Amino acid sequence: MRSIKKYLVLMSVAIFGILQQLQAQSDLQISKAFDQYGERKGVVMVELTNEMLDGYDFSLFKSITIKDNPTASEFIRKCLAKDEIGAKKVKQVISNGIPTSTYLQLPHKGQLFRLILFSETFKPESKITLIYIESKNDSEDVLKLILKRK
Amino acid sequence: MKIINQHSGNYEEIDRLIDRYYEGLTSSEEEKQLRNLLSRKDLPESYKPEQVIFGYFETKKQKRIFMLQPYLRWGTAVAAIVIMAFNLQVFMPTNASNYAFIDGKKTTNVDDIKMHALASLNNVSCDNEEVEKSFDSLNDKEIMKEQLDAFSGLAE
Repeated sequence: MRSIKKYLVLMSVAIFGILQQLQAQSDLQISKAFDQYGERKGVVMVELTNEMLDGYDFSLFKSITIKDNPTASEFIRKCLAKDEIGAKKVKQVISNGIPTSTYLQLPHKGQLFRLILFSETFKPESKITLIYIESKNDSEDVLKLILKRK
Repeated sequence: MKIINQHSGNYEEIDRLIDRYYEGLTSSEEEKQLRNLLSRKDLPESYKPEQVIFGYFETKKQKRIFMLQPYLRWGTAVAAIVIMAFNLQVFMPTNASNYAFIDGKKTTNVDDIKMHALASLNNVSCDNEEVEKSFDSLNDKEIMKEQLDAFSGLAE
């Protein structure tokens, strides 16, 4: 009986650990891009939680901007392709046959709307921008506000 | 040494085999047969020594009794821990953390962080009106309504 108790305690600790791990990694492939490239040179990574940002009320805002890195671009595109599978809505801007902007509206996480925004520009320099947003506001409204910024 | 058994009737075969066994003449097949015969429950008490020799009583193993209650109690405890961890993960607000990594260097200056956050938002916002318009027209409900309207004539 003692061994069974030991086994059950170990199992519960393991399950707890796995859940914590899941929380840290998030359920999205793009989290790998933040982990892999976030702290490199030529990269700007930002994380803001529960902050007002120019009128936007974001529960979580994560962004990464990478310059002149075709490998990162390819990697992020692959991650996006996987996250696209679980997305509620996918919007893309294709320029000269290449998707230059991708907007993914993801399923809710609790009461939060989730969005992924991706953009790649080639002029004047090659630059990738990837943004992940969690907000209490409707992702459609958030998206419209962001797209009309300029 | 020769031991003579005094059983009669139905037990002749057992006696014969026991005699042969004590004389060291039994084959493995006969020993197997003897073991089977000795495992009978209706044998007289006088066969008990042979039954002990052949380990009939020893092989009787105690049946393990499966008790559900302790498993249930510990299972409930584990389930409670799992549910608690899940709730913590899903319903607890994300820990406040504001930071930025610029060229590998970390900063926690909120103004700097916001400036970079806004710069990244500018990068993904629309560069031209055409794209912006295309998004404005991307109202899925309207598109679906238009598509369904095309089929409405078929019902008449």
